[in-house]
Amino acid sequence: MKNVIHIISLAMVLACCLPIKAQEQEVEPLMPGESPKPTKYIAVEDEKEHLVFFQGFTLAVDAYGPIAYLVSDYGTAEAALRINLKNTFFPIVELGYGKCEKNDLNTNISYKMKAPYGRVGIDINMLKNKFQDNRLYLGARYGLSKFQYDMSGPAMVDPIWGGSQPYDFKGIDCTSHWVEFLFGVEVKIYRNFHMGWSVRYKREISSTKSDYAKPSCIPGYGYTTNSTCWGANYTLIFDLNWGKKKSHKRGINVEIKDIPQENEEVELPNETNKEENAEEKESIENTQEEDNGEETDTDDEQDDGEATEE
Amino acid sequence: MDRQRRYRWGGMVVGLIAVLMGGCYSNNCPLENSVVCNYYFYDSEGTAITYGDTITVTTLMPGWKTIYTYRKLGNVTVTKEYQDTALVNQGYTETASQVRNDTVLINQLSGASSMEVPMSYYHDVDTLIFAYRSISLKDTVKVFHDSYPNVELPECGTHRFHTLKSVTATDAAIDHIEINNPSVNYDGNENIKIYFNGVAQ
Repeated sequence: MKNVIHIISLAMVLACCLPIKAQEQEVEPLMPGESPKPTKYIAVEDEKEHLVFFQGFTLAVDAYGPIAYLVSDYGTAEAALRINLKNTFFPIVELGYGKCEKNDLNTNISYKMKAPYGRVGIDINMLKNKFQDNRLYLGARYGLSKFQYDMSGPAMVDPIWGGSQPYDFKGIDCTSHWVEFLFGVEVKIYRNFHMGWSVRYKREISSTKSDYAKPSCIPGYGYTTNSTCWGANYTLIFDLNWGKKKSHKRGINVEIKDIPQENEEVELPNETNKEENAEEKESIENTQEEDNGEETDTDDEQDDGEATEE
Repeated sequence: MDRQRRYRWGGMVVGLIAVLMGGCYSNNCPLENSVVCNYYFYDSEGTAITYGDTITVTTLMPGWKTIYTYRKLGNVTVTKEYQDTALVNQGYTETASQVRNDTVLINQLSGASSMEVPMSYYHDVDTLIFAYRSISLKDTVKVFHDSYPNVELPECGTHRFHTLKSVTATDAAIDHIEINNPSVNYDGNENIKIYFNGVAQ
């Protein structure tokens, strides 16, 4: 189990490193004795938009759990609060209340449990375009629940020595831990209201063991028939980011036409010195005009000189 | 190209989900669900053996029963759990006596290296009587234990598990006896070691 967690966390870390690798530029190495080539910086308008890091909160309510309780023995009521970071990373806290009332028809053993549970984890939006309101995400959760359960059944009769006693245990304490890996989709319905679903693969890490009974159902996890199980959520999502600016443009409009000389440091313009650059451009243009004017005067004088010689 | 890549990824995801879901919904009840105490046989020096004699294990039960004994001079004594008027007519003398109830747990086990003996649900002590074919004497084994109910899953039903506390035995054919694993459940542990007299050849 530890190995699986290690591999998954390593894969996630490597996946996070991919964009950093993509930013690296290849630089041709200089030959011995070769001086750096003069560069021509041509600034164009940078159309790339940059997302604000903190995009607000997201409140989600699960609609699948209550419906599941109506049609089966087990159901949940669950809400989640998550933080939207650059519309990519969504650290999340999920709190819920699980209830299970199960009676096996073959063995006539009944199981009752109702208790709160919690999960913490993160969702990662896997869509390339982070500006759109639809999201496709992968996520992971750690779940915990501390609960009590009742189990009762028919009296146990000793087939050889005889005698019987009822099987009835109430308030058996249990603490369960589990992890979940999920795949989900959510789409924008109207303004800040989204809807989505997720499929969850759950694996039980540990549960407190009782001599008398094993919990048949864990709140937030589900049935414990196996050490793994599947779950699903259908969530109604409200993005709590009204009035928050989603993105801003960052670009430059100044164009430098001069090619810098060798060993001359190039000062890159930025947004703050746009006006200075504009003034410099104006001054350069003015000096060029003055130079042109002087040139025309000297030409006239030369022409006059030639005429006098004639 | 993008569409092909999308289809490929979609196919891989669906296939992965199908593979993972394959083992999800199955009954997890234990296949071997009989709870018995496992006895393994050793010689007096601790070598595992196959015991050559025939062993019959009976246990004492709560309550009493009437035993009828028929004796006639020059004939073998006959013991029956019911009255036999035919023997009385043949001249046998009938004697009625009260003895503890018992039942046979293992009948004429031979050539075995181990045996499985059930345990009582609600008694602290199980008294087992070992009868041998080649030895007229019998051994009495007393097993002291705790018992508790267990439900793995509601669909698997209830079982009674036991924890061995101590065990004693007489020395007709048994050298000594000891507890190896005190947990009696359906895991199939070696619970008790019986060391018989003699050394394996």
